Parts: sequence; C-alpha cells; structure tokens
Amino acid sequence: MSRLSEIAVRVEGPTRVGGLGGGVQAVLSELVGMLEALASHGQCATIDLRSLPMSPHDRIELQSALGDGEVQANLTADGVSTLRETALCGVWWVEHRDHEGKLIAELIEVSTIPAILAASLIDVAASARTLRERLSVGRNGSERTDHATRN
Amino acid sequence: MDLLHFARGIGLKVALSIFFLGVTWRIVSFALLRIRREYSKPRESVSKYLIGGLIAVGSRSWPHREFIARTGAGEALGYSYHLGLFAVVLLFTPHILFLGSLLGVSWPGLPSSAITIVSVITLTLFLAVLFRRVTNRVMRLLSNFDDYFSWFITMLVMVTGLAATAHIGGPYETLLAVHILSVDILLIWFPFGKLMHAFYIFPSRAINGALLSRKGATS
Amino acid sequence: MPPATDDLAVGEMLRRHGVSRRGFIKYCTSVASAMALPPWMGPAMAQQLHGALRPSVIYLSFQECTGCFESFTRSFAPTMENLIFNVISLDYDDTLMAAAGDAAESALAKAMHDNFGKYVLIIDGSVPTGAGGGYCTAGGKSAVDTLREAAKGSAAIICVGTCSSFGGIPFADPNPTDAWPVSAIVSGKPIINVSGCPPIPEVITGTMLQFVTTGKVPDLDEHLRPKAFFGTTIHDRCYRRPFYDQGKFAKTFDDEGARNGWCLYELGCKGPTTYNACATTKWNGGTSFPIESGHGCIGCSEPGFWDKGSLYAPLSAPDWGKAGESSPRQVMEIAAAGIGAGAVLGVVSAGSGRLRQYRSEHPLDTEPEDI
Repeated sequence: MSRLSEIAVRVEGPTRVGGLGGGVQAVLSELVGMLEALASHGQCATIDLRSLPMSPHDRIELQSALGDGEVQANLTADGVSTLRETALCGVWWVEHRDHEGKLIAELIEVSTIPAILAASLIDVAASARTLRERLSVGRNGSERTDHATRN
Repeated sequence: MDLLHFARGIGLKVALSIFFLGVTWRIVSFALLRIRREYSKPRESVSKYLIGGLIAVGSRSWPHREFIARTGAGEALGYSYHLGLFAVVLLFTPHILFLGSLLGVSWPGLPSSAITIVSVITLTLFLAVLFRRVTNRVMRLLSNFDDYFSWFITMLVMVTGLAATAHIGGPYETLLAVHILSVDILLIWFPFGKLMHAFYIFPSRAINGALLSRKGATS
Repeated sequence: MPPATDDLAVGEMLRRHGVSRRGFIKYCTSVASAMALPPWMGPAMAQQLHGALRPSVIYLSFQECTGCFESFTRSFAPTMENLIFNVISLDYDDTLMAAAGDAAESALAKAMHDNFGKYVLIIDGSVPTGAGGGYCTAGGKSAVDTLREAAKGSAAIICVGTCSSFGGIPFADPNPTDAWPVSAIVSGKPIINVSGCPPIPEVITGTMLQFVTTGKVPDLDEHLRPKAFFGTTIHDRCYRRPFYDQGKFAKTFDDEGARNGWCLYELGCKGPTTYNACATTKWNGGTSFPIESGHGCIGCSEPGFWDKGSLYAPLSAPDWGKAGESSPRQVMEIAAAGIGAGAVLGVVSAGSGRLRQYRSEHPLDTEPEDI
C-alpha cells in the first residue's frame, strides 16, 4: 500500500473546458456588481486580495481572466506601487510595495481612476504657494507686488 | 492553571500513581492466593508440566480448527484492533516522544499519514466490535458496565487523538488537553476493570495450561 | 520632541519628514490589509489622521527589560513605523525623552492633565506589588501607584509585551516581587494586550494606529489580544507544516533533518499552542522568524509560558514543572511509591482472600490450621 505522501498531486491547469476555479468565479461575480454600481451611480469599491483564500494558481487565473488594459501607472512613495488597468475598463489591479520591494498590499479597485492617483486639493494649494514663493525669490530681489494673493 | 497544563502535569502524575498502585495491588492480591491442593498424582514431571503451561500461552492464542467457523470473525476483529492500537500508541512520533520522556528511551516511528490511516481503520473496527456486542443476544446478556465503559474510554482516547492530530473541533491546545485527560482517565480506570487482562492474560493461560498438563491433558 | 510641532497636524508633520500624502495613504492601506479591516478603511484612516492633531500618547515602562520598546522603535530601516512618532504625540517616554528628573515628571503630569480622558496609555513591563510596591519606583512613586493614577485619565490602555499583558518573566515562579499584569490592577478601562517577548514591531504599531485612528478597540480574543494578529497559531501558518504532516522531524539541532528544514516538534516547538503573527508577518521587515532560523517557537506570546516546562521538551511530553528535572526519574519515584503502596494493599487483600479460601474449604473448623 503506497503512503499518502507518495501519491503525486496533480494541479488541474486552465485547460479545463469553459470553467474557472471557484475562488476566481466568486471574485468575478463580485466585480460585475461593482462595475454596474460604478456605471449607474459612480460608486467606487475595492477588493482586498489578501483577505481572499486564493492559491497562487487562482491568482494567475484571475490575472489572465481580467487581462491587461491601456493604462499603467507607477507611484513612487516610500517604495514603488503599480496601478494597472485591466482589460475591463474601470477595474484596476493595484500592488503596493515598500522601499525594499516587498508586497505590502494587493487590491482590485473598481473606479474611474484609483483614488490614490488623484492629486489632493490641499496638496495642490500647497504646491501653488510653494511655486509662488519660488517665483518671487527668483525675481532677483525685486519688490513683490502681489501681497493680496499671498496667504 | 489551564487545562493542558493540568492534564500533562498533576493530572498525569495522579493517574500514573493510581495506575501503578492499582495494578500492583491486583497482581499481588491474586498472585499470593493459594492454588488449591491437587491430591491426584501428577501425570507429568514438574518441568514437563511447566513447559506445558508455556505452550498453552501460545496454543490458546489461536482458535481450534473446529471452532474457527463460529469464532473466527470475532477473533480476527479482536486481533486487528489490538494490532492497530499497539501500532498507533507505539509508532506515532508524538507518542514515542511522550513515552520516551517517561522511560528515557526512544525508537523510530512511522510516518504520521500511515498512523492516521491505521487509527481510522482501528476506530472502524472498534465500532464494529460494539455493534457485535449490542446485536448479539448472548453478548448483550453477558455485557456489563465494565465492558461498555472500557470500550468507551478507549474509544474516547482514539477519537480525541484523531481530532487533535487533524486539528478539528476546537483550538489545538484544548483538543490536546482533552486527549491527554482521557488518557489519564484510562490509566485510572485500568486497574479496576477488564483492561487488566493485559497483565492477566499470559499468567492465566500459563497457570491453566500447567494445571491441565499436570493432569495429563493437552492444551 | 520639540514642543513647536505640538500644534502641527499629522499631515504637516509627515510632509516635513518627506512622506507624501500618497505615501501615507499607501501605508494606511497596508496596515488595514494586515489587520483584515475592510479595504476602504485604509484611505479613511489616512484622511482622518491627516488633518488631525496628533493624539496624545503616554508610554510608561515598569518592570521590564526594554526589549518591547526596542522592538517598537527598532523598525527596519526608515520605514513608516518610525514615522508613527509624528502621527502620535509621544508626550512622555522615559527612554526617549531628553528631559530628566523633575522636568520629566512635570511633563508627565502636564500631559495627563491637558489630555485627561483622551490620551492613550501604553504600558510595558509588569507591575510589582511586593514590599508596598517598592520593587519598582520612579520619582519616589511606585509603579502600581503611577499606573493607577495614569489609568484614570486614559481613553484606553495598550499593554505592549507579555510582561504587561500577562506578567511575563517577573510573574514566573517564584515571582519574588509579587508582580502582576496590568489587567490585574486596572479595571474599567479598555485594555488591549499586544503580547510577545517582544511583540513584532508591525503588530505594535498596527494596533496603535488602528486604535488611534478609529478610536475603537479592535476584535479581541479571550486574552484581550487583537484577533487580526493573534487569531491563528504559528503552527497554522508555519511553512514547515508539510513536514509535520508527513512525520519528518529534526531530532537534534543541526542534524540532517534540521538542515533539510524539517519540523522542529521534537526539539520543543510550541507553535501548535501559540497564537501570534510570526509565521506570516515575520521579523525584521519580513526577513525570518525563529522556526525559519532553525529554533522552535518558545510560545512567548502566551500567558505563563515561562512556567510551562522546558523550552526543548516537545508538547507531547509530560509537563511536570521545573525545566531540567528528569522525567524518567520522576516516573521511577511515582512507580516506586505506587508499587510499594499497591504491594502492601495486595498483601492485605491476599490475606483476606486466603482466609476466605480456608473458610470455604474448612467450614466446620473453629481453629484454622494454617493460613
């Protein structure tokens, strides 16, 4: 009698006719609902891939099921994060990595554009102030006339 | 003090103490009883009938040909689950570590997956044994608390052991604690019930065989 | 801690340290993911914190070795964990603060007064109550009195390390200073135990960040530890589990099995009964954890782990107290006592048995011939 450990484990590949793994099916079904909510009333949503019990094989299946889109963005803030639109418009695959390249979070975001990419208006105002200061310093010590516009 | 600490600590100490005390008590109390004086002439010399006793231990371990048809199934069941129990208790690595730390020796074990298969088979045989005891009219008539409780406590040890290894039924430390507690109860019950057959069986066959041999009968 | 930054919002503090808003959102997202919070909480936490003034945190150290504090601050390279100091206002910590003596004590009193009812109290070290609390004093006040006073105005208490959570080393037998965990001394305040000897840095800061941003105590287990980090055992997530399942165990340190990465059960690994995040979150920024480095888990995040028998005796061995005492010797003592007592009882039983035997064979005799 052969021991259980001697029985080879065979992983069934994606050549299964028509069908996908159960975990992948569940995610895709959830995405349908999220996309419809985004299209009808602009509601954004996120799925944390770390919270789902997915095998490496399931993850590969999900990636190939979603495919690649037209947009890829790299965010360099304490490490590089990649935000890639999938072939499904509005579905973004987001990987956050720290400065050592370790994956610290992996999400699927359903939105017109991932929220983290948009510039915050507070930061925009701060940039305006900074640029204005830089310009007035650059004017060879000449008197500033726009006191009213400075805050 | 949590349950696991109790079961492995003071619980085990008490259980082992009662086990040693009880087993010694019973063995000494029957060993010192007088064998009724035989007034007939011995048919064999002393050495021959002592050897006859030893032979009886072996010969009574196998049913006579005439009885195999009727008792064969029961015998096979009994042998199988005894072998299974010994295999699981003596060849599973955590058990080897446990016994080893008590006795100061060690020996190689079987892969855990093999032990799991053996214990599942043994469990099934155990259920079959109970089924037989309950459905057979004669056995039902003869069975008492001792029979059922000895079965129950051995079964409990096996079931809790499987649950602990498979990590089913609760947090691991609780499963392990319950398993060790059931072993403690088994050790306490051991000297007072039919489980004492472990110590009685071979001396009893030897004595009976020797007595019969003295009378000139073969066993 | 320069007092001028007290009035700055978290966002401003971070920007001064070169951390952008996006970087902070990214960090909060990873913390939310690690704590199994819903994904929208990451950006929500970031947004809530960014414009807020830093919440006041008071860190008190009692009967401890400072290992937990080292873990907290010894984050790996300049990662976000270090920047937590800019997210919270660490108003008192006797290891880090520049002030000393009366200046330090008045800083503590001021922080407690100014933020009464709102500050987060972080405690490491157990609290000795022996000799009227005299085994641990600072500024003439005992640890137990300081704790009781500080607890009054706290919003919640986070116990960092096994000593403050469960008593730890000082609490272990024979506990000469009569040390107790914080939960035995303080009642009526939410307590979160972040146990471990020491706890993983990310577990400490993740728990603190989650509480400080949401104001709510996370899901706790029966030992008041956050389930997000202490919900599973080391064994459940150990990468050596397949070897355990196959029965492949290392017999001694550095033997063939150990070199092949086999299970360390026989070498005393307490992984199956220890709840912590070491196998997933790991140490030193995810570098490794004790089992991966070849040593079995010692169960340091569990209550009373110092008194649970030898660190090197496997879980299936008897747990008869002091490590190092030989179990076979104890078994022989038990056996000798049991057999001795049993033999005496056996002789008595045999005696009465023989008497019965005689009486059944000689029913009419008034005097027994021999017994």
